[in-house]
Amino acid sequence: MKSDKVKLPPYTTAGKFWKSLLICLPMIFITFFFLTGGEPDFSDTTNSIAFILVFLFLNFLFFKIIYTGKTDKFRATGFILFAVFLSLVFITNMVETREGMSFSSADLLECNIPFCHIVITMILIPIVFTNSIIFPGSILDGFAPVSTMLILWILASIALGKGFCSWGCFYGGWDDGFSRIRKKPLVKNINTIFRWFPFAVLLLVALSAAMTLTPTYCEWACPFKTVTEFEAVTSTETLIKTIIFLLLFLGLVIVLPILTKKRIQCGMFCPMGALTSFTNKVNPFDVRIDKEKCKDCGICEIKCPILSLDPTSIEKGKTHFVCSKCGKCIDACPNQAIHYHIKGTPVNKRNTTARTLFVFSGFLFLAIFSGGTFQMGIIRIINILTTGSFF
Amino acid sequence: MKKIATICGYIWAVLCLLIVLIMFPGLGFFSKQLASLPFMKINPIYSGGDVEQIKECKNYTLQIHKPVFEALIGESSEGFIQISWIWKDSLPGILNDSIDYNTDGKPDFIITVYTTNGDIQINPLNEKVKALIASAQTENGWIARIKLKK
Ligand code: SF4
Ligand code: SF4
Repeated sequence: MKSDKVKLPPYTTAGKFWKSLLICLPMIFITFFFLTGGEPDFSDTTNSIAFILVFLFLNFLFFKIIYTGKTDKFRATGFILFAVFLSLVFITNMVETREGMSFSSADLLECNIPFCHIVITMILIPIVFTNSIIFPGSILDGFAPVSTMLILWILASIALGKGFCSWGCFYGGWDDGFSRIRKKPLVKNINTIFRWFPFAVLLLVALSAAMTLTPTYCEWACPFKTVTEFEAVTSTETLIKTIIFLLLFLGLVIVLPILTKKRIQCGMFCPMGALTSFTNKVNPFDVRIDKEKCKDCGICEIKCPILSLDPTSIEKGKTHFVCSKCGKCIDACPNQAIHYHIKGTPVNKRNTTARTLFVFSGFLFLAIFSGGTFQMGIIRIINILTTGSFF
Repeated sequence: MKKIATICGYIWAVLCLLIVLIMFPGLGFFSKQLASLPFMKINPIYSGGDVEQIKECKNYTLQIHKPVFEALIGESSEGFIQISWIWKDSLPGILNDSIDYNTDGKPDFIITVYTTNGDIQINPLNEKVKALIASAQTENGWIARIKLKK
């Protein structure tokens, strides 16, 4: 292992206030437009406070990404809070409309269940054979209809590739957050073979869903039911399902990420993560390692939360195709050898344009996708503090 | 060649940024376009199948859905039929209907719903009709699914 550090030029925006602000200007305008819905109205105090807080928070994060040249810490702050706020808003909605976190038989029979992107892994084969969607949701109406969620995932995957799993998924922030709790991992040296496990889960759920015409992962194995909604416990079967998803959340999303500092659920279990990995193949952004600058210190391999780096991939100067473009390895590399890169362009260069284009796309998606949820969450928090009720 | 690859790379990257930009304002439009594709319909296992017969009764409308025998390939030997009631003014205490789902002129089963306590009785008159598999009161009615053999 070589550890001698070399001084390399940072991104051309890093430490340059006005240049960074200039790059942030489009983000400022776009987030203002989307957060106000294009019609600024500051007549309601609570709404205005929520808007100002979210607008400043998101633009502060993006400014820091550009100004410091560091990505992961600021991305993760928005990403983790998005997951927490989504659960807050979702659960309070459920409590308001259904008086609890569970959905009823009527919701199932009337197809009122919100569609989530992870279900996409289970509907693909049945679409081919039955020409229909095997999910008790709505195609176009209500909250989180099938077509809207499908479009969001398709376009996000084209634009970000598996960057979706570190910049857009409203569940991923949970294990990302828990994986940051300890300074050092208690369990080290996790075999990179585990990065293939989500592909096995994907195969299993896709086939079992096709055989039974049931979204099996949603029914039996989704840990995120703990922070969204689940079937009312009315029988032994629903009780077993409830125990399973609670244990999975505890194990895969809380305990193991804390012990290993890895995103165990996303990197080693989620079938959607596996499916989204393939979109890295068509997306122009990737993360590359400059072999001339790399000193083989292995820090990036230790830091990567989803086992996307190993000695072979470092040797090749590439990340594994499961990379979610979180930027953690880039920030951690003491030799500034890792960088965002656009396919087709020269590799051995810390390219400011490539980085700016990717982080702009990634953060813009996160900001617009999460903005409404953040505002609604803040309004609910203000309401509960001032009136004792979320609504 | 390298220059062309570089230019193509940058163009594709800028296009990706544009995709993120138009994605949200265009979400309604794109969703509608996608929803109009032929495969964008909920499988009858979940939707309950198309309504085949409608009967207007005094207090409610009765809908008899098409029997569902969905399978990945072909048809399953077991399925169900969905019956839906939609109230007109108020919730009747008891619903009692004879159902002729195969439209042969003879009732296939009689279903009784005690709406006050949610009890449901099925009286099969056709050997293909089995037990109740699911039922629920909805905002303005009741839904029941009854298991059928092919
Ligand atoms: S791996 Fe799954 S849960 Fe994690 S971020 Fe990706 S889609 Fe979301
Ligand atoms: S290789 Fe780097 S950018 Fe990719 S997931 Fe791992 S830490 Fe994140």
